[in-house]
This record gives sequence, structure tokens and C-alpha cells, in this order.
Amino acid sequence: MYEFVSGPLVWVAFIVFIGGMIIKTVGLISLSKKKDKVVYNHLNLDWSMRSIFRWLVPFGSRGMRENPVLTIAGFVFHICLLAVPLFLLGHNILWDEAWGISLWSMPDRIADWMTLFLIAAAIVLIIRRIVLPEVKIVTTSTDYILLAIACAPFITGYMAYHQWMDAKTITIIHILCGELMLISIPFTKLSHMILFFLSRAHIGSEFGERRGTVTW
Amino acid sequence: MAEAAVDTTEDQTVDTKVIKERLDLLKGGRFKMWLEICAHCGLCADSCFFYLAHDKDPKYMPSHKVMKTLGELYDKKGEVDRATLKEMAEVVYGDCTACRRCSMFCPFGIDIATMIAAGRGICCSQDLHPDGLKAAIQNYKDTGNQMAMSSEDFVETCEWMAEETEEELKGLEIPIDKQGARIMYTVNAREPKFYPQDIAEAAMIFHAARENWTMPSNGWDDTNLAMFAGDGKTMTAQVKLVYDAAERLGAENIGITE
Repeated sequence: MYEFVSGPLVWVAFIVFIGGMIIKTVGLISLSKKKDKVVYNHLNLDWSMRSIFRWLVPFGSRGMRENPVLTIAGFVFHICLLAVPLFLLGHNILWDEAWGISLWSMPDRIADWMTLFLIAAAIVLIIRRIVLPEVKIVTTSTDYILLAIACAPFITGYMAYHQWMDAKTITIIHILCGELMLISIPFTKLSHMILFFLSRAHIGSEFGERRGTVTW
Repeated sequence: MAEAAVDTTEDQTVDTKVIKERLDLLKGGRFKMWLEICAHCGLCADSCFFYLAHDKDPKYMPSHKVMKTLGELYDKKGEVDRATLKEMAEVVYGDCTACRRCSMFCPFGIDIATMIAAGRGICCSQDLHPDGLKAAIQNYKDTGNQMAMSSEDFVETCEWMAEETEEELKGLEIPIDKQGARIMYTVNAREPKFYPQDIAEAAMIFHAARENWTMPSNGWDDTNLAMFAGDGKTMTAQVKLVYDAAERLGAENIGITE
């Protein structure tokens, strides 16, 4: 079982994730070239980059400054979500054993704390959805499911590291959760990890190039 | 088209075929992406003055307004009854001005207001746009301006204003249909109809600036209420009317009233 989830299934997950995102992104761009031609006469690299950059920097936009709780929770969540799996020592050892390549890795103690920070940030995001009427009214069950899919690898990873259950079982569950998250990305709004850049480039150019107005 | 079948708002049916066609036409790369990626974060709420003016009643928050209208139309693949569509019309015309402030506040840059405008287009295709806009659209179609002024009335108003103002500023003119002007000036049809002094005041500025300007006898109304209604056909015709006037007169620029 462990061999299967840590072998072929990893390949499946990465192929679906990367292949799916390429198909999706290329598909949307070519569709827009057919049906949204108007976009392309004011698409502008400078405005696009500024629009993306401002929303990638903490408190870079007015909306972020006015909503510090969401900004902090959101950035903590996303930074940990990307950094922990990429720079975890355990993951890098696996890659090193498999292909002889590895990235810089962080001390386990830091990864441990970042995992807890991610879970804390997720709890803040959930509380926001329940407590704030303007967020509650637009929240759907999908929002909770996707948050759960994104958090599951971290919760199970934490459990595996601290050996809270049978190490082998929890590790298998942890790998499955990670694969589920990767596979979900192209088919759900988690695809914003790539589409964010397209939509921000569009709106930055739409307001910037056409009327000299900023969207941050 | 189903013009004969769907004639008045009393009609209790909707032409779902037309709605489906429009939904399909709209669904390019942008709409597809926007409808999918909204994270329901709620950041657009505070950007909306409808929401703020209604004591932060969440039903006025922008993304909710889209979800309840265009979002639902896509979910139901255009299969809605007239009562539902009428409720949607209340939202897209009554609870949003399409000012686009929310589009500037969305972290993902989703153009929320453009989706509301798309919803208006669908409501308008089923004759559910507000009566005031219907009347204006008819006027555009009949006369090329929202106030149903005839070309003669407009030209006479301008002449009258030129005569009155000339007493103050010697040599002042309001040139109509002059060829090769640098600026072809256009106005809101309410100006010649109700506030002709506005035209006189603009003329005074042009005169003092020694500007080479003119106004067209036809194609002088730069408002576009058809756009607000979601009537793309009339909207385009009105813009074209003004552009054609500028081309006919060989004007370098089109000036638009304040």
C-alpha cells in the first residue's frame, strides 16, 4: 500500500496537477482570444505586473489594509501552504533518494511551527465565514471542503511527524491527502494558484491601460 | 427573433432559447474564469455603497448580487421562469449602478460589475428593463437622442443661445456642422431640452479659448442609457451615430460634456 501511494500515485497526482493546469490555462487563453478579443487591445505588461505585485505583497492594496485580519491570516496560510511541503527536510530526502535532487530545506522545528500557523490561519478563515454576515452569505459548502482538502495534508503530516497514530497508516493517509490536494487544483477554484495571475493581469490592464486607474 | 411573441411585460413567458444563446456567447475565457475562481472572501462588500448605505445588509454585497443573478442563470442553464428573472432584474437594475468599484477591490480582479451588466443584457432581452430606460431607448431609436428632440429643435436652441450670449461676448458663435473642426462638441440631451444655458456656457469657453469647434446637427447626444439597460444593439447604434457625425464633419476630436 505504501509503495503504491508513494510511487505510481504520486506520478498520477503530479501529471494530473501539472497537465491539468496547462490544459486549463491554455484553454482559457485561447478561448479568450476567440471570444474576448476586446481584452487584447489594452493588455499591458507594466499594468499587469503592478496589479499582480500589489496583491502579492502584504498590505499592498487598500482592501488588505482595511481588512488586516484576513490579510494576515491569508498570507500566513498561503506562505505556509507553499513553503512547508517544498522545503520540508523529509520531502527533500525523499526526492534526493528518488532522483538525486533536492531543494534547500528548513529545520523541522520551523516546519512544525509553520504547520501550526497554517492550521491557526485556517481556523481564522473558517471563523470569518461563520461570523461575518457578508462572508457567510456567499459561503458555500465547497468553500469548506476545499479548505479541508488544503489543510488535510498538514494535519496528517503533523500527526505523522509526531507519531500520534500508527506511523505507517498515518503516513499513507498523509500522502493520499497530499495527492488529493494536487489532483483537486485543476478542477476547483484552487486553480487560482495560476489563474490569479491571469485575472489580475486582465483587471490591472482594464483599469490601468484604459483609464489610468489603479486596482489596489 | 421572437419580437412578436414577447411583446410586453405582461407576457408571462421567457424565451429561454435567447437566454441560453446569450449565456453561451458571454462565456469566454474571462467569464468562465471569474465564475470559477471567486473565493467568496467578502472583500468586495465594503467597496459597495449600496451595501454601506443599507447598514451593511449582506444581500447588497457585490459577489452575492452576481451569484443570485448571472451565477444562478448559469447554474440553471437559462431555465428560469419570468418571476425569477424579474427578481433578478430588481437586483441588476435596482441594487447596483455598475460603478465597478467592487471590480477594483476584488483580490482576484474579477470584474464583478461587468457580470452585472451581462445580467442586465439578459433581462433586457426579455423586456424586463425599467420603464424609464425603455422610453429613452425608444427615443434613441426614433431621433438619435434620449429626449426625442428633433434636429431642427436642437439647431434652433443653439442659435437662440448663440444670439443671447453674443450680447455678452462679441463674435460668439455656436457653429453647427462645420467641416474640419478640431473639436466636435457633444452634449447630454437634457442640456438643449432643459438647460440650454449649459451650451451657452460651453460656447463661451470655446470662444474665449479661440477654439476651432462645432456641434453636429445629428449625433450630438453623448449619453447612452441603452448601455445601462443592457441593450447592446441600440447602444452600438448610438455610439456609431456620434462617430459617424465626427467622420462626416472631418472633426479631429470628439468633446464630451461635463
